[in-house]
Amino acid sequence: MGLAKSRSSASSASGFSLIEVLIATLLLATALTTLAQMFALSTHTNMNARNTTYTAVLAQQKLEELRSLTWGFDTQGLPISDTSSNTAVSPETPNGGTGLAPSPGGSLGANTDGYVDYIGATGDKLGGGAVPPANTVYVRRWSVEPLPSNPNNTLILQVLVFRNRDRGTANDGAGRVMPDEARLVTVKTRKSQ
Amino acid sequence: MTMRLRSESGFSLPEMLIAAAIMVTVIGGVFTVMNPAQGTYRTQPEVTDLQQRLRIASDMLGKDIVMAGGGVYAGGMTGALSNYFAPVMPHRLNDPSEGVYFRLAQGATDASDSISFFYVPSTGAQTTIREDMPQPSSELKVDPQANCPPAKTEQLCGFYDGLQAIIFDETGAWDPITVTQVQPAALHMQHKNPLSKSYQKGAVVAMAATRTYYLQTDVATNTFQLRLFDGGLSDLPVVDNVNKLEFEYYGDPQAPVLLPNKSLTDPIGPWTTYGPKPPPLGVDNTKDTWAAGENCLYSVQGGQHVPRLTDLAGGVGQVRLTQAMLTDGPWCPDATSMWRYDADLLRLRRVRIKLRVQAPTELRGPAGTLFRHAGTSSAGQHYVPDQEVAFDITPRNLNLGR
Repeated sequence: MGLAKSRSSASSASGFSLIEVLIATLLLATALTTLAQMFALSTHTNMNARNTTYTAVLAQQKLEELRSLTWGFDTQGLPISDTSSNTAVSPETPNGGTGLAPSPGGSLGANTDGYVDYIGATGDKLGGGAVPPANTVYVRRWSVEPLPSNPNNTLILQVLVFRNRDRGTANDGAGRVMPDEARLVTVKTRKSQ
Repeated sequence: MTMRLRSESGFSLPEMLIAAAIMVTVIGGVFTVMNPAQGTYRTQPEVTDLQQRLRIASDMLGKDIVMAGGGVYAGGMTGALSNYFAPVMPHRLNDPSEGVYFRLAQGATDASDSISFFYVPSTGAQTTIREDMPQPSSELKVDPQANCPPAKTEQLCGFYDGLQAIIFDETGAWDPITVTQVQPAALHMQHKNPLSKSYQKGAVVAMAATRTYYLQTDVATNTFQLRLFDGGLSDLPVVDNVNKLEFEYYGDPQAPVLLPNKSLTDPIGPWTTYGPKPPPLGVDNTKDTWAAGENCLYSVQGGQHVPRLTDLAGGVGQVRLTQAMLTDGPWCPDATSMWRYDADLLRLRRVRIKLRVQAPTELRGPAGTLFRHAGTSSAGQHYVPDQEVAFDITPRNLNLGR
């Protein structure tokens, strides 16, 4: 019995065939590639997280800018509205922009002059216009719509921020938001002091 | 035995070569993957951490600054703090190493890396001074306001030992105080701060969130911290490795105007478009340096109140308030007050914050576009570049009429 076992083990110690080695190598290569993809994936996920953070902060910034524009009553109780401030440049200029003037339809779906600005890598404003400058990293579009039930005093403000790329059909529907994009909505009402 | 000997005939040279070639390919493949993977393995957790620090810093600053100027809502002098004094100041407040009166950090020429602001949180601790102070006093005699929580041991109207509070009046004067002792039965409380003036009956004392955010930079010790000082007790780091913190201020370009149809003797404000109201014409506050009917925002010319501030940039849009504009006067409540502040600060409506965070030293390369401060990393795959963001905050209480 012992002899038989030793003999069989001796005969199986004849080594691997080339085919066996090749298959093993293939398996190892596949495993390593998958593993390498995990690293790429982690880098990519971090990039996405960064984009999500930036788009959210930038969208918030535009809302805060629009919020700070004059939309109230003067000392005589008459409504005053800022419809000329240009918030697409830094620092903002009192003229040359649209302020809180109602936006044309579809200003979230296309780059509409007066309702879009372009942002560089460090969150710096690069200006507005229908065409993004070369070093644009994020595109920020916004819309200003009067609230149908109180059009003179209440505005719906929306901001959409995304990484500078072709959004494809996401531009068609109203308010589609893709991953790592940010879209914020708020309401601004005239208040008397 | 003979069989084993026969099978140990060894490898032929071609077999050897093929085996070696396969081995080299496999090991080469392993190294191709492992080398960059090691970089990723080192850097990506730091990237996550850096982004999280950026989020925390921007979130904390944003949520806090948006509250600036929230005023008292019970007792006297209700409404936003900006109707009485400037609730946002472009410098550190009460720096522990600088004494009470503070404008700039030691050796600094610019305070744009610091902001101080105040708001009254949701609290019952809001009351008024009961009697005129004979001199700047460390003892406050207060009114039992209707909103005061029931007196408890060592608690008077919600005030207790160690509480951060502010005291202010209608002249534009204010003082930050730290309560040190309360005597509920006598309606007295003590505080430890020297006051800038003797407050009159009716001045407000309220619990206040006092915040000073500032950047502490020391390249020698590799310290880059966003810190928060609460005005009295604690001075703590909030986020590490912040290498840039800049505040810009934007404000109302129009000069303040007295609201028509609003009597200056009306107890409920606001009386002007912003800032503290002047005394009625001909009435003089003997405790300040202004003439009758005047304060830091209004002079009297030809029998009328005339604003001391002018329209900036034609009075439209919003203007950037530069450090120079915020430190050149006119001073409120007057130029001699210990807690004076520039009247232009009352224009303030929006704060822009620029924030940049960096990775630890061993993951930073040479100083340049990617890195504000050089690190010790020598290989590109071990670089984690700085990340910078700029955002705006519009404190709601400073924009009530907008």
